[in-house]
Amino acid sequence: MTGRTFKPDEMVDFVVVGSGAAGGVVARELSQAGFTVLVFEQGPRLEAADFEHDELKYFFLHGITNSPALSPQTFRKLPTETAQQAAGGFLPATYARLVGGSSTHYTANFWRFHEIDFHERSVLGSISGTGFADWPITYQELEPYYTKVEWEVGVSGLAYASPFDPPRSKPYPMPPLPVKSSGVLLERGARKLGLHPFPAPMAIASQAYRGRGPCVHCGFCMGFGCEARAKSSSLYTSIPEAEATGLCEIRPASYVYHVDTNAQGRTTGVHYFDGDKRSHFQPAKAVVLSANGAETTRLLLNSTSNRFPQGLANSSGMVGKHLMFNQGSAVQGIFEHELNEYKSVQVTRILHDFYDSDPKRGFYGGGGIDARINPQPALWAMDSGGDLPLWGADFKRRLEGFPRAMASTGHCTSLPMEANSISIDPTLKDAWGIPAIRVTYKDHPDDLATAKFLQDRSYEILQAAGAQTIWRNEIAENDFGVHLLGTARMGNDPKSSVVDKYHRTHDVPNLFLVDGSSFVTSGRGQPTMTIQALAFRAADHIGQFAKRNEI
Amino acid sequence: MNSSGEHDDISRRSFLLSGSGLFTSLWVASHWPSIAAAAHHAQQVSTNTAPAHFGFFTAADGADVEAVCAQIIPSGATPGAREAHAVYFIDRSLSTYFSAMAPGYRQGLADFQAKFRESHAGATFAAASPADQTAFLKSADRTAFFGTTRVLTVLGMFTSPKYGGNFQGSGWKLMGFVDQHAFAPPFGYYDAEYKGFVPYLNEKQA
Repeated sequence: MTGRTFKPDEMVDFVVVGSGAAGGVVARELSQAGFTVLVFEQGPRLEAADFEHDELKYFFLHGITNSPALSPQTFRKLPTETAQQAAGGFLPATYARLVGGSSTHYTANFWRFHEIDFHERSVLGSISGTGFADWPITYQELEPYYTKVEWEVGVSGLAYASPFDPPRSKPYPMPPLPVKSSGVLLERGARKLGLHPFPAPMAIASQAYRGRGPCVHCGFCMGFGCEARAKSSSLYTSIPEAEATGLCEIRPASYVYHVDTNAQGRTTGVHYFDGDKRSHFQPAKAVVLSANGAETTRLLLNSTSNRFPQGLANSSGMVGKHLMFNQGSAVQGIFEHELNEYKSVQVTRILHDFYDSDPKRGFYGGGGIDARINPQPALWAMDSGGDLPLWGADFKRRLEGFPRAMASTGHCTSLPMEANSISIDPTLKDAWGIPAIRVTYKDHPDDLATAKFLQDRSYEILQAAGAQTIWRNEIAENDFGVHLLGTARMGNDPKSSVVDKYHRTHDVPNLFLVDGSSFVTSGRGQPTMTIQALAFRAADHIGQFAKRNEI
Repeated sequence: MNSSGEHDDISRRSFLLSGSGLFTSLWVASHWPSIAAAAHHAQQVSTNTAPAHFGFFTAADGADVEAVCAQIIPSGATPGAREAHAVYFIDRSLSTYFSAMAPGYRQGLADFQAKFRESHAGATFAAASPADQTAFLKSADRTAFFGTTRVLTVLGMFTSPKYGGNFQGSGWKLMGFVDQHAFAPPFGYYDAEYKGFVPYLNEKQA
């Protein structure tokens, strides 16, 4: 491990809370610009050699995700209900809790948002009962930073392959990953139907890139840490690059629980627990929260003071509101020959023909469709969709179909609604005695209708591809999410948003929020690419503000 | 085409899967399938041989649970749950990382056994004929006990052998899953015959 080690109480230019997709990029950019940066990460620091092919540990025992034993949460559908902890401690806001954050365990689908995502409200009009709004920035403003993500973080893909792709200033730095049988079949079925499938952009190296080797196709991407360092997680990209400046320290097992402010309403630093649960104060000239849409929110709401009684940066009352998980759908199919979908990356072909909302459908929403599978055997075996036999000789025969199986999944919009939120549970506390997260969430009917619409399209595609057997998975109301979006939305009006277009909080001039919480709308799933583009853009501006002494 | 269409008996299936609420939200679908589970760190038990005795179950309880496992994934030309040592996985999991669900599971098992005895002149489930077992389970496969046993059997059969099940990788062999650290294309039949991506030319953007 390289990098700087700051002395206790040593003033730093920036404290960054969270070392994930956004925090890693912010730390890299600010340290490369010459600032001292201290990154706090509540989880441990693991390296490639620490990760395992262990389905039980990673999916069922919270191997690298937040744990209900340490960090419990409650859930309710409506604000009128009393939130409860789920049996077994199930966590409604799930994220990876280690250096690299959720970029360590993501699937690495990295499509860009389209131009329409940023001004959809102006095109379609308002939607009653929702907080549907335009972003204060355009796709064109973000485009150079999307390109930066592709080149600096490392994305494999084929530029201009989709007729629906937004404009780009540069091709991808690496070619697409080798197509899998699921991709071939999606392409076959979709082309028959006149659709436009194309190679999936993935934040996984398809060839050696900047000191990292290419993907070895082991198949353990989604939910796992990459053992080959091919997945472009912050752990392997921005974090070591930030440390290489000699100006950045990553401090793992350090849990920030309070952002401090002074009489002038400026932040002075943060309080955190070290690995032995001892509390310390870390002074900083400015603070950037990149702890994800759930934990950034909790930190703000827990950082109350006389001056900020309803939580920090919350004069609008919007902190925690407009949570968006993205809805989704899945269709499963069995084919004549072997696909062996447990090998290699999860997705190699997607299509964006249904990306835009179409008023003719009768509801708001759109999304992308891909080809994949639940690649680990126990997860696949537990599928209970359709008329699947659940025990006995028929169940056993079904299990033998695993090598011939694939799925097509839909990834779609979630409308921003004020009632859907991250808030502080009135009674529950975590293992450090800090008030816990309460999630309130109920999908808008249009989100469910969009998921159903995409599921029907997936069904048709698998039919056209020649599947022998097809079944649908139930489209259920979301009671958990891994996309934690919209909870500190960006906007020009301090009365209705939390941060401005440069991610500076309206209320506290030296406090910035850079993660999925800034989203104004949900996109169509796959948010990490946009989280990182925003992070590059935010860091660019924050660095300029700091140099001009405007923080 | 054996597609299921719109008429799924979803509530029944959800119930089967949900167990007693010990495994909630077993909705395995699109984004990142997160599965509810008891909140304890894995105590990794590393062995590839069958243990000599149970830790959580009595011998009689273990025999009954094993018989249920063997109905869920039967033995035959290929190994089933019995040969995969699924019951030993369940035994260990309930005394370690799934211990939060242990009291509920024990009660469910006792109810299951009592119900079986009532209708079978005091006989144990393990000692009954396979036909009697199957017939009884058809009436009991909606219970929380059965739902949870099914989930645990699948975990015991198809997760890493280091947890005590999936003996000699027998579950993985059944499913055709190969646990390997690297593969090279082609991965399957259809990508082997793929001719390459053909760009969309002369098409207007929709």
